[in-house]
Amino acid sequence: MKTLGGKIAVMLVSMILGLMLAAQFKNVQKVGGNVSLQRTQELTAQIQKLNQEIEGQRSLITELEDRIAEYESAAQDEGKLSDAMYRELERARNLAGLTELEGAGVIITVNLISYQEWGEVGIIRSVYDEDLLMLVNELNAAGAEAIAINDERIISTSEIRNAGDYIVINTNRYSVPFEIKAVGNPDTLEASLKLLGGVADNLSEELEIKIRREERIRIPKYNGPLQYEYAVPVQ
Amino acid sequence: MWLPLIGIVIGIILGMTLPFNIPTAYSSYMSIAVLAALDSVFGGIRSALENQFEADVFISGFFGNAILAAVLAYIGDRLDVPIYLCAIFVFGYRLFNNFALIRRHFLGILRKKSYLEESTDK
Repeated sequence: MKTLGGKIAVMLVSMILGLMLAAQFKNVQKVGGNVSLQRTQELTAQIQKLNQEIEGQRSLITELEDRIAEYESAAQDEGKLSDAMYRELERARNLAGLTELEGAGVIITVNLISYQEWGEVGIIRSVYDEDLLMLVNELNAAGAEAIAINDERIISTSEIRNAGDYIVINTNRYSVPFEIKAVGNPDTLEASLKLLGGVADNLSEELEIKIRREERIRIPKYNGPLQYEYAVPVQ
Repeated sequence: MWLPLIGIVIGIILGMTLPFNIPTAYSSYMSIAVLAALDSVFGGIRSALENQFEADVFISGFFGNAILAAVLAYIGDRLDVPIYLCAIFVFGYRLFNNFALIRRHFLGILRKKSYLEESTDK
């Protein structure tokens, strides 16, 4: 450390060490520190794989949608499909949940009730698939025309089921709070839910159920692929 | 003695402010490299205190050790042999050793100045 060159070298090298320390520190902060590195690497690899899968599925969906649009426009262009048939097709698509809809209806939010006891926060119980199924069932019975839970359109093949701490809807995982949007006659929908001894009444003993009417509710379209492999129509 | 510490502080400030990141996947190799580099700097301080400092030895040791440690850890990961444990052991041991020598050096100075005479005589 006697010569000037030596001093500069020491200074530079120490600065590089400082940079490395800071970079490593930031990295650990980002990851969370307490998680072991192996686990982190495992999870990172898993996320990458899943992201790729999602990407693949998305491109498949757009591909299929493109093909449908192609068929439709081709049919229209050639005049093979009359206006009435085209309208019939649109109606079928609406009913199948393949289009975004808008209209009056109700929005139900389902949340947990948390309470404090001697400083500890607890919940009465969590939300199960059955609660959502019961609500959806009731809405359907009251004449709901389109239903979506957490912007996941409920169609004829939609599943609502528990998977660990989550509820899987249309193969996507969700957890509380749940927001159920239903388009239909707001009066009927609200009344059927709020019946004394009805679904909402029963559930609200253990869960936080909020029902509010809305003039314009947007229900997104179903975003998954729809393909029958086994079923063929009877001629 | 103070140059490396000032350098580290400047480096840390630069590193925290600059958007300079290492991919999480390489974080484990980086940690080994950091340990090797830390050992080199402590070794440099020690040799400077003993008046044996040579810039070329110091710089080659810094980069050489850090790169070698990271590469060995990487190879170990590929072969499923925990070589990084060896690197942690060796560099950790040397780090403590260097620190002990630095401590002794300063204690020696203090003793010579007889600040500790009373406590040592008893």
